[in-house]
Amino acid sequence: MDWAVERTGQPVTGNRFAERALRVRVGGVLVFLVLLSFAFGVASRRFLTVENARIIAFNAAILVIAACAEALVVITRNLDVSIGSIMGLAGYLAADLVARAPGLGYAIVLVPLLVGALLGVLNGSLVAYGRVPSIVATLGTLSVYRGVTFIYARGQEVTSTRLPHWMLRGADLMVLGVPSLVIVAVAVVALLTALLSTRPAFRQLYAVGSNPQAAYFYGLRTRRVVLLAYTLSGLLGGLAGFLYAARVGTVTVILARGWELSALAAVVIGGVSIQGGSGNLIGVAFGAIVLATIDNGLVLLGVPEFWRMFIQGAAIILAVGVDALIDRRIRRVLELRRAGRRV
Amino acid sequence: MAGLTFLVKRWEPVLVVLILAAGAWSSTLSPYYLNVDQLFDSSRNFVIPGLLALGLVPVVLTGEIDLSLGSILAVGTILLAKLALLHVPLGVAIAALVATGALLGFLNGLLVASFGLPSLAVTLGTMGAYRGIAFIVGTEEGYTDFDPGYLWLGETALRGIVPVSLLLFALAVVLFAVGVHATVFGRRLFAIGGSLEASRFTGLRVTRIKIQTYVLSGVVSALAALVWIGQYGSARADNADGVILLVITAVVLGGVDINGARGTVLGVTFSVLLLGTLTNGMGLANIPGPTQTVVFGSLLVLSVLVSNVVRWRTA
Repeated sequence: MDWAVERTGQPVTGNRFAERALRVRVGGVLVFLVLLSFAFGVASRRFLTVENARIIAFNAAILVIAACAEALVVITRNLDVSIGSIMGLAGYLAADLVARAPGLGYAIVLVPLLVGALLGVLNGSLVAYGRVPSIVATLGTLSVYRGVTFIYARGQEVTSTRLPHWMLRGADLMVLGVPSLVIVAVAVVALLTALLSTRPAFRQLYAVGSNPQAAYFYGLRTRRVVLLAYTLSGLLGGLAGFLYAARVGTVTVILARGWELSALAAVVIGGVSIQGGSGNLIGVAFGAIVLATIDNGLVLLGVPEFWRMFIQGAAIILAVGVDALIDRRIRRVLELRRAGRRV
Repeated sequence: MAGLTFLVKRWEPVLVVLILAAGAWSSTLSPYYLNVDQLFDSSRNFVIPGLLALGLVPVVLTGEIDLSLGSILAVGTILLAKLALLHVPLGVAIAALVATGALLGFLNGLLVASFGLPSLAVTLGTMGAYRGIAFIVGTEEGYTDFDPGYLWLGETALRGIVPVSLLLFALAVVLFAVGVHATVFGRRLFAIGGSLEASRFTGLRVTRIKIQTYVLSGVVSALAALVWIGQYGSARADNADGVILLVITAVVLGGVDINGARGTVLGVTFSVLLLGTLTNGMGLANIPGPTQTVVFGSLLVLSVLVSNVVRWRTA
């Protein structure tokens, strides 16, 4: 490698390539979305319309928030497979409480946030302080949180007639032609993106994820960073659960079951490396939109529901494949650069 | 066979004590618990996840994971259903089943080992894709038209007492125990899980061995489909949906390190028996499913947490 650099004498071009490749990593999901939309647009006349775009955005909104929750944890090189159960428990508790005590009003929004954050703290403590591998810890809490929801509910569901009017209407509300859920999702993505790219406390998520040991030796309190990621993730999960409860109206104990997989899929498709340390939430949001677009397109084309799972699965593999390819190129270029500096 | 002394380590005795405790507790709940028929029959609770857990062990020992096992099982049940409709002889059907399981496992292994993609993401993908295949081929229909031969393995009990599927599980335990702990192949799994780099430098064909573990887990999962159709007398594309949680619980509770290189087949076998005993006992005690879920989840987390704490104390 060394001699190649010496001969070309231009390690700088490598630098530029690395930057470009990093940008491609985010752009990859966009390219995929455009290709997908093109294919669906050709196949169905009803696909490329403003109304349909609105439907896709509406359907993607809550998944965007859940996927952001998942992404925060994945960036630190951990996993949270309990996010669906957090959504379920927080969403159910909030719905049940507001049905019993309608006087709570808007203050009820605090309940799912608090419950979600608490469940996140438990996950984070197990992983960061108990040193339980994250997949094991959250696989356990996936069962525990869902089980607690069942036990608390005693087989009852909260019917939409018992939910306050503002909650149900709020979920379907349009503000200047944009669904309210979409506005919430955009706000969440914007806020977290700003924090992640500017605030030191949030930059540390990337540091811990890209090399936990180096981060520790550098002096970062890695355990606290991981705990922070899980806590925020739980909080967002609680929010997503509440919004989902408001959207579906009739809240059952299996609310949001299986969402951990969709969220993880959106994260991976959105270009967040499952090995931690890279990716951003705008990509993740588009990852969720890709999933919603696939669903929507298949319905419009009248493709049997059965193809959905197959195509989603294939999309995940394709995404990690492309990601690995880009990753390898970046590594090679960085190696060249390092060699170049020594020369 | 000297390697088999390796089987017994600290964790296994703990599991045995837990099994006995769970059994003793169950026997206080119902006078029918300690009935031989009942005990053998209750093995139907755990044989299928048990087989999948055994199949997963070699994969996890190398430091990888396979989430797609339940989906491979579903492809298997649908395949058997379609072959049964054509009245294909059982021998041919089993050959096709093994080939399919091997192919799906090979695909996992290829993506993980040859292309170097993260196994968690890859098998998350194939979990969906394979389940999708089961649905595309089988639709949402339930198939119940099987020749008696197809059902024999899963439904028959020898002398009316010992289920054949339990014997199959016992055979699988022995094969996996020997394969993992007393063969060169088995030792290599530990080597790869311990250090991929070092294994490569010593000349191990890491890629090939990893692919072999995935093929093996694929074949075992497909064969579990044969037990499934016998047990339930039916096949549908959503068979074994969500079973992977129980399977990973069994593997981890059995003392296998999810990061690889540590664990025993005996431990996993005991943890499968423990989960089976608990399911049986809690069922007899009319403890509702959700509570059982909480118990299993807590058990999973606590098993790792407690052993961590013990290790810190002694370290």
